[in-house]
Amino acid sequence: MMTPDTAAPLEVEGLKVYFRVRRAFGAARSIKAVDDVSFELKSGETLGIAGESGSGKSSVARALVQLTRPTGGTVSLAGAVVTHLKGQRLKRFRRRMQMVYQDPYDSLDPRMSVSEAIGEALAVRGLPKAEHAAEVVRLLERVKLPATVAQRYPNQLSGGQRQRVSVARALAVKPEIIICDEAVAALDVSIRAQVLNLLKDIQHDTGVGYLFISHDLSTLRFMADHVAIMYVGRIVEHGTSEEVFSNPQHPYTRALIAAVPSVTSRGQRRLKLTGEPPDPGDPPSGCPFHPRCPEAVETCRTERPELVTIGEGQKVACHVVQWGRQRTPEAEETT
Amino acid sequence: MPTDHVEPVLLTDAVVAVDNLSVAFPSRSGSGEVIRSISFSVKAGQRVGLVGESGSGKSLTARAIMQLIPAPGRISSGEIHVGDDLTLATVSSAKKWRGTSVAMITQDPLSSLNPLVRIGVQICEMLRHHRNVSRADARQRAVELLNAVGIPNPKRTMRQFPSVLSGGMRQRVALAIAISCNPRLLIADEPTTALDVTIQAQVLDLLEKMSEEHNSAVLLISHDLGVVANFCEEILVMYSGKIVESGPTESILDRPLHPYTRALLTSIPSMTEELPDRLSSIAGSPPAGGVDVVGCAFAPRCPLAQQICSEVNPELRQLDDPLQHVACHAAGDATWPAVRSR
Repeated sequence: MMTPDTAAPLEVEGLKVYFRVRRAFGAARSIKAVDDVSFELKSGETLGIAGESGSGKSSVARALVQLTRPTGGTVSLAGAVVTHLKGQRLKRFRRRMQMVYQDPYDSLDPRMSVSEAIGEALAVRGLPKAEHAAEVVRLLERVKLPATVAQRYPNQLSGGQRQRVSVARALAVKPEIIICDEAVAALDVSIRAQVLNLLKDIQHDTGVGYLFISHDLSTLRFMADHVAIMYVGRIVEHGTSEEVFSNPQHPYTRALIAAVPSVTSRGQRRLKLTGEPPDPGDPPSGCPFHPRCPEAVETCRTERPELVTIGEGQKVACHVVQWGRQRTPEAEETT
Repeated sequence: MPTDHVEPVLLTDAVVAVDNLSVAFPSRSGSGEVIRSISFSVKAGQRVGLVGESGSGKSLTARAIMQLIPAPGRISSGEIHVGDDLTLATVSSAKKWRGTSVAMITQDPLSSLNPLVRIGVQICEMLRHHRNVSRADARQRAVELLNAVGIPNPKRTMRQFPSVLSGGMRQRVALAIAISCNPRLLIADEPTTALDVTIQAQVLDLLEKMSEEHNSAVLLISHDLGVVANFCEEILVMYSGKIVESGPTESILDRPLHPYTRALLTSIPSMTEELPDRLSSIAGSPPAGGVDVVGCAFAPRCPLAQQICSEVNPELRQLDDPLQHVACHAAGDATWPAVRSR
């Protein structure tokens, strides 16, 4: 059972997800979708993962729920390693970690009414059929939907309602962690605000931990306690929301934050990243960000920077930042 | 703009003029109108943003301009004029201006790309059809275009099918095709919604560069006020098939007059300012499309609604700022109560 005091229910250590691909006339090569990623998520907290497409953030999510078998590393939930579970034990584990996707059509069967869809999850939980109807209504209430929604089909619902149903369905098995993979990306701003508020309320009441994957940094700033920035399969910066957003260190993080089109920052000349995000199958040598980095030096081309703790708990994988720290730790501390 | 304000058709420098446009879908009850009598124009080289929630009719406005309203919908009244010479946009005239004078990129690039045809062929087809260039020149230009829209390894992409590309890459291909003939007006329907912020910034830069170089106007349709605020000189805010506020970007952002515009602005979490525990959100959801609305469509969700709001449809009107227009009974009324009546 879930104990709210557990220091870290979800611990990820050196997670690797490699895919082997074979080109028509080439040798098989491996794509390192996730390469040596470590983080932890305490219950009742939200870890935000941001990054561009191809950065491996969704691969992390899929590897956590064992939809993709990790190539290496361990995932442990409340101290128990879950990486190589099979059969019944895998099923039982999945109950504890749920996913909410960007497009609710991925998780809702169009031919199943809302009550059937949620009922399916309730059956997994082992709730007797007689109690389903009442529980469905309770869950719908939880996500602030009227009980009448239970009889509807996904196509009769608006996008916001569908996403609420996905959340209700995820909640049906009483998970400890919910992975929200771009869960609000498809929603309108006014509806998005409602769903984000709702997710916060649910977390407050149930102590569920969120792994919140989003490309939208302003959403992460609102939702997340900790933020990890990923680039080509690796975490390049990791820290509290406050640290990462107020004092971003990695040039990539800085560029990402600067690129957010904000109503308040309009008209400002922004730091723009040139170049394309690298092909994850053929990443650049050294620091994979060096071809796009305005501050890259020779070492960046040859040596891959490790994720190193600077200051309080903020971790950065950047040679230039790390050198700067070594030289003037005091001056940096005060900024 | 209000109907008595200007005759959009007379604007000589306009590349699109929409006059009292209504679009309806057959409905058992009521008129089935999903766009209700909107008028606006986009001048050459101008960047106009059309903002609204899904179902507000913003994409349908784009499709109406392109004469691509999906059946059984139809333009029930009003006129649209497009191109330099402001031809009356009709289904029969569309072959002449669609793709050259006016191009569009849609929300979902898969809807504009043929899944069975290689990317290179699809781009060259457009160039060969409209520009009458040699096969080799078309290929050369296609590679340049793919490069310009930020596709790594364009030569390889030319040989690929849309299905192997990621959503972002497909959108870039769609953009490459749309800009291939330097359109006078580019309608971009949520072009960057699926893209990452750094790429979004690049694509918006690209759109900006193109619109400046070729004096092409852009009608940018987006739910993201941040994108529109940074890209457009003028903003049209749509709600439930009507334009509820319009004006220069600065005016709308600094002094939003419609309660809906204000609510939209405050429901986005800020990147710089102190964050509240809860975001201010608009209660409820927009009315279903095609349902006849008496009074103001926003009234059921509006924090300021009074009796009159559910009875009389507010006209789009001008207040102090001659360029800013708003359709709200409360706007500019100092005596208006600060809480809703019911």
